Amino acid sequence: MNEQQHILSAFDRDLEAIQAHIMKMGGMVEASILDAAKSFDTRDVELAADVRARDKAIDQLEILINDEAAKLLALRSPTAIDLRLVLSVIKVASNLERIGDYSKNMAKRTTVLMEMPHVFDKGQGLRRLAREVELMLKDALDAYVQRDVKIAEEVIQRDRDVDQMYSGQFREFLTYMMEDPRNITPCMHLHFIAKNIERMGDHVTSIAEQVIYIVTGDRPTEEREKKDKTSADANISLDLE
Amino acid sequence: MNDMRLTQETSTDQQTKISASGVQVHYGDTHAIKDVSVEILDKTVTAFIGPSGCGKSTFLRTLNRMNDTIDICRVSGDILLDGEDIYDPRIDPVQLRARVGMVFQKPNPFPKSIYDNVAYGPRIHGLAKNKVELDEIVEKALRRGAIWDEVKDRLNDAATGLSGGQQQRLCIARAVATEPEVLLMDEPCSALDPIATAQVEELIYDLCKRYCVVIVTHSMQQAARVSQKTAFFHLGNLVEYGDTTTIFTKPEDPRTESYITGRIG
Repeated sequence: MNEQQHILSAFDRDLEAIQAHIMKMGGMVEASILDAAKSFDTRDVELAADVRARDKAIDQLEILINDEAAKLLALRSPTAIDLRLVLSVIKVASNLERIGDYSKNMAKRTTVLMEMPHVFDKGQGLRRLAREVELMLKDALDAYVQRDVKIAEEVIQRDRDVDQMYSGQFREFLTYMMEDPRNITPCMHLHFIAKNIERMGDHVTSIAEQVIYIVTGDRPTEEREKKDKTSADANISLDLE
Repeated sequence: MNDMRLTQETSTDQQTKISASGVQVHYGDTHAIKDVSVEILDKTVTAFIGPSGCGKSTFLRTLNRMNDTIDICRVSGDILLDGEDIYDPRIDPVQLRARVGMVFQKPNPFPKSIYDNVAYGPRIHGLAKNKVELDEIVEKALRRGAIWDEVKDRLNDAATGLSGGQQQRLCIARAVATEPEVLLMDEPCSALDPIATAQVEELIYDLCKRYCVVIVTHSMQQAARVSQKTAFFHLGNLVEYGDTTTIFTKPEDPRTESYITGRIG
């Protein structure tokens, strides 16, 4: 990491400002995941509505960050670490915006599931999944601020667990649906929530990869082993029988 | 990442034109260039960048023995042009400079006509047998200098009447008139406006298909725009040399990074 200041101090101020916005956005997205999970947990319709309403602010922050990045590229012609930083900011803002969308979607489905209260007991694993992804996001953002490659690598590793947890959820919902066709509608919603949380994990992984790119200039090339095999395994339902 | 490797491979396909090893330059007591070794590729634009006084111009001038004209300047080490030592006593510096042409910071046309500016080199080197041949050489050089269309109807006008950008392109035409193999450019655009700069940069891009071009520039954006290889000099040392894309996205040496990101001057 280059700790020296730019000769042009306005350049430093611009870079600091844009990173402060990333951190603000990160905090809002973290809170969004936490509250979406909590609203699901406590069947809190008001909190769910609040999560949905707050997504607009997250989206607007992404637009602001992209505008700032465009301005930086046009006016300051950043190179080397500065260039990597600006490129990563655009990517991370996009990742955060997607995570925010998934979170909003979870809150939306919570509202729908409220109509079918009996299925809520089937969502135990989802809370654990959401909690894990929220912690990963927190660590990825810490790694981003501290430019800590080690933490970033750990986050990338942890996404495997999230993938495995999702596969487990997938199988579990399948059994409920097989038991009783009346479970299909709620379990489809639960499954979408699980899938969305799993996708959040992928976006968190992408943020962690950006940290490695900023610091080293390399993108992690090692292909991660895919732990979520639900899309590839046509016989998955047969295994369960 | 793969793409970057691809560029690297394409550019290293070019053969080495100038090979410098262990080059030291002293101006009296000042050690201006410290043990610089570098392979400059043919048909490639190589940019030398670095803060003022880092030795980039000094090193450029060793490549066609321009430093010979300075009494207190001593050059040691080897500089081979196509494997031939250019500091060998048998080498005639005047002939060498016909092979290794130079364009300077300030356009410096001779106070003669446009035609005579370009015809000067070919005349003294006896490259044309008659007027028809000389006319051809002049036209070809002016075309390569990307200025033919602007001056073809007034070849006998004074060169000093041209605009700054036109004068610089005329100087480039003059430099290529003797069919050099290498073209050295010492901040060729620093006295030009952005449009004239863009025209000269476009010209440099064309020239590198035919020549080995080495350019010293203070503008890092210019180095990034026109060169395939970049060498960063600092305090007389060659700190880093590599593909321009690598130097500007992922330099290895912290000093290179500090310089190109505007952290040290």
